[in-house]
This record gives sequence, structure tokens and C-alpha cells, in this order.
Amino acid sequence: MDGIVRCSHDTVYAHDLAHAIGVPQLTFWSDVGPGGVAPAAMVGQAVAAILSGQAETVVVFRELNGRSGRRYGLADAAGDRVGGAGTYDEFFLPYGLLTPGQVFAMLARRHMAEFGTEPEHLGHIALTCRERANANPAAQMHERTMTMDDYLGSRPIAEPLRLFDFCLETDGACAVVVTSTERARDLRRPPALIRAVAQASIPDPQPGMMYPILMRDSLTELPAAAVARTLWSRAGLGPGDVDVAQLYDCFTITVLLQLEDWGFCAKGEGGPFAASGNLGPGGSLPINTAGGHLSEGYVHGMNHVLEGVRQIRGTSTSQVPGAETCLVATTPLPPGSGLLLRSDG
Amino acid sequence: MTGPAGPSRLLPVDDDLDTGPFFAAARRGELALQHCTACGLLLHVPKAYCHRCGSWETDWRVVPGRGSLLTWTVVTHQVHPAHPVPYTVVLVAVDGCGAHLVGSLPGRPELATGQPMEVWFEHLDHGVVLPNWRPVAPHE
Repeated sequence: MDGIVRCSHDTVYAHDLAHAIGVPQLTFWSDVGPGGVAPAAMVGQAVAAILSGQAETVVVFRELNGRSGRRYGLADAAGDRVGGAGTYDEFFLPYGLLTPGQVFAMLARRHMAEFGTEPEHLGHIALTCRERANANPAAQMHERTMTMDDYLGSRPIAEPLRLFDFCLETDGACAVVVTSTERARDLRRPPALIRAVAQASIPDPQPGMMYPILMRDSLTELPAAAVARTLWSRAGLGPGDVDVAQLYDCFTITVLLQLEDWGFCAKGEGGPFAASGNLGPGGSLPINTAGGHLSEGYVHGMNHVLEGVRQIRGTSTSQVPGAETCLVATTPLPPGSGLLLRSDG
Repeated sequence: MTGPAGPSRLLPVDDDLDTGPFFAAARRGELALQHCTACGLLLHVPKAYCHRCGSWETDWRVVPGRGSLLTWTVVTHQVHPAHPVPYTVVLVAVDGCGAHLVGSLPGRPELATGQPMEVWFEHLDHGVVLPNWRPVAPHE
């Protein structure tokens, strides 16, 4: 192993990991961000390094102590004054808009107003992830079943979102090894082939990390639409070719918006699509088969990459029979990235 | 303003080179947003350079203190002592200029998408004035 890709939000640097696992010499390292939009792009960096001869075998990793360390659900505000210096937080935080969940709640309310989306639609996404976690012994929510009544009865956090619309707080780590197809075919385990990777900013990007997304004309379209166009074009495949998908799920509404923006259903129809049994085993688009951020754990999208590899290898605890193509969509906001994995058949 | 028992509200940095004029206008009782002098494009959030035409010439124009409600959230899980729950964060489309601005209301008011909203100027500690938004009273 001679290369390492880390997430720019990680606390472990490439040389930290190289030392810890005894790598004698790194020839490539890279920082990719931000946060949850990085994972597919991180794999893309590894691909670029290998194809350009800068490395032969690259470890792509993410670790975070989301429970015992920095808790992502806490307010962004520190100190008495907020904003300035290009953060633009001064237009948001003084009004009590302080967390990603509150931003996504406003997107959810707008989606409900424009398209008639209902809480039960979001509930089906939460239940789908929970049921997959119940089958996955490694999931945080493995032993915790949930009904629609449980979902609807959970306490409101930022209405219209409630507790079970939110992802988990997790101390965890994930890594994948990326190498040439030729070398991968010599290894003991069957490879998951990388058909295509894509990154895309949201069209007409905004400055700032997250809150300026609310300045956009459309409050119901995420960067996923732009990532999808690039990924489908590079892969020569489309939504109809996907056997199983791992969709970034910081919140249920994030999944619903991505179902539309990735082209699995029309804009506005994500709710009925989710409620019609499409997302479970035997459905047209089984998603988040390890339980996702909502019920497996929150490792900032890298656990979605791992589960994508498991589906291609046939080792998922909710294996989709004969799965040959898996989409990994790390497309919350403001930019995004996507990865299409294929079996070596 | 600081309540007798509650902690002080979160204050914005109101003297930033790029965004300070927004708060300076508020101290004068005006809602002003930055525009490109050359091509007229609204520059919100504010910045020194027009990304459409490349001009460095910008000015701050007073815009209507009226708008319509785009969306909102009722916050019921408290994350900061300066913002006791429940409270409501609103997003308003300002009339005539295409800007979206955030405001907040105490509690859980009855709201509807598209309803008319009006700006008001909230005086906080240390002379900070925050443009804020509330529903237009029904009798108006």
C-alpha cells in the first residue's frame, strides 16, 4: 500500500495512519472534502492516483467520534459573535438557524408545500433503513425494531422532521482498498469494479458551507442532479441499470430528494415512490442495505461505500440476489459525488 | 434584547468588510442588499466581485421590506442556550429582488407558504440591529 486518501474533516492525517499500520513509504496522499459529500470523490482520487501512476494501492478511510468527540447535531455557534470572514453565518445563526437538521427541515417543508409530500412518506424511508439494520448484526439499531406508529410518535426536533428522520451519533471508522483491476483479480476476495466516479458542484455554486443553500431559487433540488448527469454519462448506464443503491441519509428527506435527483422517479414523486415498496427487498430500488446513517451508523458516507462493495461481492446481510450494479450516492449538499460499482462478470 | 433571566442572543459579526453594510443599513432602519453597479445583479450573499459580469463596482440598494414566506421550521429540540425552544425560523423571498432572507419568530405561530411577510428591525445588545421578519398583520 503506497497511497492514502482522507476526508478533509478527519482528525487522522495520512501520515498518522501510515505510521499506525506500518507503511514504509507513501507516494501519494490526498485530502478530499467536505464531509459527507466526499466519500465517492475520495474513491475517485484513489482511481486518479492509480491511473496516473502516482500509487499502486490506495487506502481510502474515514473515522469520526461523532458521539464521544464532536457531536454533529450541536449548534455551529461558538462564542458571542457569529459570522464574518466569508462564512456568511451572520445571515443565519443569529436567527436560531444553527444545525443541518434545521436546514433540511426547511427543505422538507418546502417539498411538502410544493408536492404534497407527507410525514408517512419520510417514515417509509426511516422504516426501510431500520429493517435493514435489524438484519445487520453490526448496526447500532440491530436489535431495535420500529413501526410506523413508533416513527410518527417520535418527538419533533425541527418540524416537520422528528427524531427518527435524523441519523445516528456514531463512533466509527471505515476503509476500502483501491487498486488496479489486474492486481485486484489476483487477491483472495472478488473485486468490486469501479465503473465510474463523478463529482459535481451544485450549479451556480454558493459560498459558505451549508446555510447559503437556502439562497437558491429551487429549495427542492440538490446537487445530486448534476452528479447524476455526469456519472450516468461516464458509466454509459442509467437509473434503470441500478440493482441496489446506497443513498446518503443524514436525514430521511435527503434520501427522498436524491431519489428524484438521481432519476429514480420524477421530481415531486419521491414520497409516493418511497411509500410504494420500491426501497425494500424485491423492490425496484433496494436502498441502504446495511441500515444507512439512519440505523446502521454515521460514518459520513464511507459506510455506504463499504456496503456497496459487500453487495457486489454478495456478502451483505440484506443481499440483493444477483446484484451486479450498485450506486453509492454521497450527494447531500452543497456539492456531491457518486460512485458506480459493478461485479467482475 | 437580553431578557432578565435568559442568556444574551447570538450576535452577528456586523462589521465584516463584505457584509457589514447590511447591518449598517439596519441601524438606519433600512433593508439594503448589495448589487452590481455595472449589470445590476443582486449579490446576496454579499461579495466584492460580480460573478456575472466581472465588475468590482458594487452598491447597496434599499429593497422593499415586504416579501412572501417560502418555508419554515419549528425548532423544538434546543441546541443553544441563546435560543430557547420552541421557536420558528422562516425563509422569506423579498419582493422584487429575488433575495431570500432568514428571520425568526418566537413560539409556534400559524403560518402558510406564500403568506405576506414584513421586515422589522430588532435591536440587540451592543448596538447590533438585526433585520427580522414577521407576518403582515391580517388587517393591513
